[in-house]
Amino acid sequence: MRRVVITGAGVLSPLADSPAGLHAALCAGQSALKPVELFPLDGVTPRPAGEIRPFDPKAYLGERNLRPVDRTSRLLLVAAQQALESAGWTAGERAAREVGLVLGTTFCSVHTIAEFDRRAVQLGPSYASPMDFANSVINAAAGQAAIWHGLRGVNSTVSAGEASGLLALAHAADLIRAGRAEALLAGGAEELCFESFLGCERAGRLGLSVTVPFDARRDGFALAEGAALLMLEEAGSAAARGARVLAEVRGHGKAFNPAGAEDEASAVSAVARAVHLALEDAAVGPTDLDVLSLSANGSVHGDHNEAWGVGMALDGAGDRPVAAIKAMLGEALGASGAFQAAALLGTFGDGVVPGVLGLERTEGGFPLAGVRAETRRLGRAPRLGLLHAMAWDGQSCALVLEAPPEARP
Amino acid sequence: MHGRIAVTGLGWVTPIGAGRDEVWEGLLAGRSGFAPVESFDTARFSVHVGAEVRGFDARPWIRRLDPGRLGRASQLAIAAARMALEDAGLADLDAESHQGRERTGVVMGTTSGEPREVERFDDRYLAGDTAAIGAEFMGLYPCHMIAAHIAREMGIRGPVEMIPTACAAGNYAIARAFDLLRTGRSDLVLAGGADAFSRITYAGFHRLGAIAPERCQPFDRDRKGMIPGEGAAVLVLEPLERARARGARVYAEVAGYGLSCDAHHMTAAHPEGDGAARAMLAALADAGLEARDVSYISAHGTGTPTNDRLETLAVQRVFGEAAARTPMSSIKSMIGHTMGAASAIEAGVCSLAVATGRVPPTMNMEAPDGDLDYVPNAARELDVRVAMNNAYAFGGNNASVLFRSTEH
Repeated sequence: MRRVVITGAGVLSPLADSPAGLHAALCAGQSALKPVELFPLDGVTPRPAGEIRPFDPKAYLGERNLRPVDRTSRLLLVAAQQALESAGWTAGERAAREVGLVLGTTFCSVHTIAEFDRRAVQLGPSYASPMDFANSVINAAAGQAAIWHGLRGVNSTVSAGEASGLLALAHAADLIRAGRAEALLAGGAEELCFESFLGCERAGRLGLSVTVPFDARRDGFALAEGAALLMLEEAGSAAARGARVLAEVRGHGKAFNPAGAEDEASAVSAVARAVHLALEDAAVGPTDLDVLSLSANGSVHGDHNEAWGVGMALDGAGDRPVAAIKAMLGEALGASGAFQAAALLGTFGDGVVPGVLGLERTEGGFPLAGVRAETRRLGRAPRLGLLHAMAWDGQSCALVLEAPPEARP
Repeated sequence: MHGRIAVTGLGWVTPIGAGRDEVWEGLLAGRSGFAPVESFDTARFSVHVGAEVRGFDARPWIRRLDPGRLGRASQLAIAAARMALEDAGLADLDAESHQGRERTGVVMGTTSGEPREVERFDDRYLAGDTAAIGAEFMGLYPCHMIAAHIAREMGIRGPVEMIPTACAAGNYAIARAFDLLRTGRSDLVLAGGADAFSRITYAGFHRLGAIAPERCQPFDRDRKGMIPGEGAAVLVLEPLERARARGARVYAEVAGYGLSCDAHHMTAAHPEGDGAARAMLAALADAGLEARDVSYISAHGTGTPTNDRLETLAVQRVFGEAAARTPMSSIKSMIGHTMGAASAIEAGVCSLAVATGRVPPTMNMEAPDGDLDYVPNAARELDVRVAMNNAYAFGGNNASVLFRSTEH
C-alpha cells in the first residue's frame, strides 16, 4: 500500500497567518471572536465572529492582478502559497511535475453568487458581471488556485459543511494511495459573508450567549472564515525529493446519519462508526491514540452527539486530551477540518494541546475526560492523533494522523 | 478490495423525459428539449430558449421527505435515485439491513446546487425584506444537501459526498464512487449529478454570449452556442461479483477514469486542449486500454465555438489516426447543457451504448466543423466495446470516464 505523508502546511486564520502562529495562539487561549466589520449587519442580531482583519492579500501575494479573485479564493491563494513554500515545491518543480488540489468548501462564495444575481436583476442581464459569473461556480476557488499557482494535477472540490476540510484530506489521501496522484494540496477554505451569516442566524445555528464547545451552557456557534491546506505526498516520492515529513495520514473513515441530529441514537452511532472505520483503516486501536481534535463548535445537538459517539468508539480511551479549537477560532465551515489538522501538526511538534477556552462545565455523564479548559503539555510524546469533523446534515468524517519519529518531543 | 465495478441501474430526469426507456428512445430518435423558458421571465434577455424539465412530477418519487422542504435539484436527484434503484432491482433498498445501508454510499455532482434558493434570498433582500428569509435558506441551499437529501430519503448511512466540480461534476462523482467501491469502503454507491434551471446560470451564460438563440448544434460549422438546461441522473454502481451473485442485469463496467486541470483560465479551455487530452490519457492508462480500443466517445460538445473546436483537437491529439474512425456524439444537441447533471446523464448514455449496441446522434448538424465522425442527425447501430465519457468545466476541471462491456 502506498503511504501518504504531509510535507507542508499553510494557514490563513483569524488568529494567525501561519500554522505555527495558529498553534501558538490556540495554546495561549487567544480568541478570534470579535464584532463583525466586514459587512453591515442589516437585520441581523450582532454576534461576534472570526473575521480575518486586516486582510491585505497583496502583502502575501504581491502585485499580480487580484481583481478577478474573490475573498474565498484570496484566502485560499495565501494558504496554498504557504503550503507549497513550506513543502519546498517551487514554481519550476510544479511546471515539471503535476501538483493537484482537493478543496473542501461549503459555499465557495455564496456572496459572489448573490452579488452576481442581484446586479443582473437590478440593472438587467447585460450588466451582469462575467468575472463574478466565473466565480459563481462552487469549484471557483480551486480553479483560481490552480491558475495562480500552476497546479495542473487532479483538481477537485468537495462540499460537506463543517466536515468539508477533512473530507478533502481523506479524498486526497485516497487519490494518492490509489496511484492517481503523487502530490496534492488538500484542505479547506470559506469566507465570512452576509449571506452565510444571515442564513446561519435564521437557521438558529449561531450562539447568542455561549459558543464554547462541549460547555453545558452552549447555544450555538460563532461563524468564522479562513483557509488551510496541507501538502499530501506519496511517501516514496516525498523522500526522493528530500522533503521534510510533518506527519503521515494513516487512515480515515466516513459515515452518515440520515435521521437528523435530534435522533440521538442514530447520530451518535454515525460518529462512532466514522471513528471506528478510521481506526480500522489506520490499523490502530483506540488505546494507541494520544490526542483527539474534535469538531465541537457550541451546537446543542452536534457537540453532544460527537462526544458520546467518540466516547463510544474509543471505549475506555476517552480520557485522551481533546482539542476543540472552535472555542478560540469559531466555526469556519469548509476550512474548519483543515484548521484542526494544521493545529494537530503543532501538537505533534511540541506536545502541547490547546485547552477549550471558556469551558466551565460539561454535561452530566460526559464521556470524554480529556476535555479541559486549560492548555497542557502531554505526559508522553504524541504519536497518533485522531481528527473528527461532523456537519449539520449528518456527515461524519474521521482521520488518523501519525507524527514522524523525529518530530516527537 | 473489489476488482471490477458494474453499472446495474440507471435513473434519468431530463428535458426530453424521465426514466431509462423514455429518455433512451428520445435520444435515439433525436428528440429536442428546447423551448421558451418558463421558470422565469426572459424579457430582458436577448435569447429566450432553454432546456427545462417540464411536466415531470417528482413528488411520487419522494416518499419519506417532505417535497415542500426540498430544493428543485434535490427533488430531481431523489427521483433519479429512486428510478436507478428500481432499475437495478433494488427498489426495496429501504428494507435493506441496517448493515447494508452502512455499506451503501451516495456521491453526487453539481454546478450550482440549489441556485433558486439564492434567487429567493436575493428577491427578499432587494425588496428590503430580509426578515422574510427564514431557516429554509440554510436548510435548502448548501449544495451538499443534494447528496444528503438522497441519503435521508433512502436511509443511507455510508459515505455521502458532494463534488461540485461544475460541468464535469457527474463524471467526478462516478470516479469517486468507483474508488469507494474498489477500495472496499462501500458495496453499493448511487452516483450522479443534479442541477436546477436558474436565472443565475442563464444570466451568466447570456452575458458570456454563449447561449444559442434556438437550438444547440455541437460540432456544426454554424453552431451558435449552448442551451442551458437542467436535470438529474443517478447510476447504481456495485462490484461486478456482487451484481452477478444477486443476478442483476449489468449494463457495463466502469473501466477507469482520468482527471486533470488546465490551470489556464476560469471559463475558457486550454488553447491546445492540454487538460482535456491529459484526462483522456489518464483514463486510458487507468483502464489499461489504448485509444484504438475506444468504440464511441460521448463528447462534452456544448455547441460553443471554442469548446467544440478544442475538443476535436484534444481528441485528435490523443487518438491520432484512430480519431477519424471513432464515432463521437453530443446529446447536448437534444437536451442542452444540464450542467452538473450533464456528464452523469452522458455516463448513462455510455452504459446503454455498451449494453444495447446503439449510439445517439449529434442532432442539428448541417456541416461538420472538423474531421471526426460526429454521428450526424441519426442514431447508429454500433458494437460498443468501450465508451469514453468526456466532460470539461469552469475552473479547468476535466474528467474522462471509460465504460466497457463485461465480456473482454
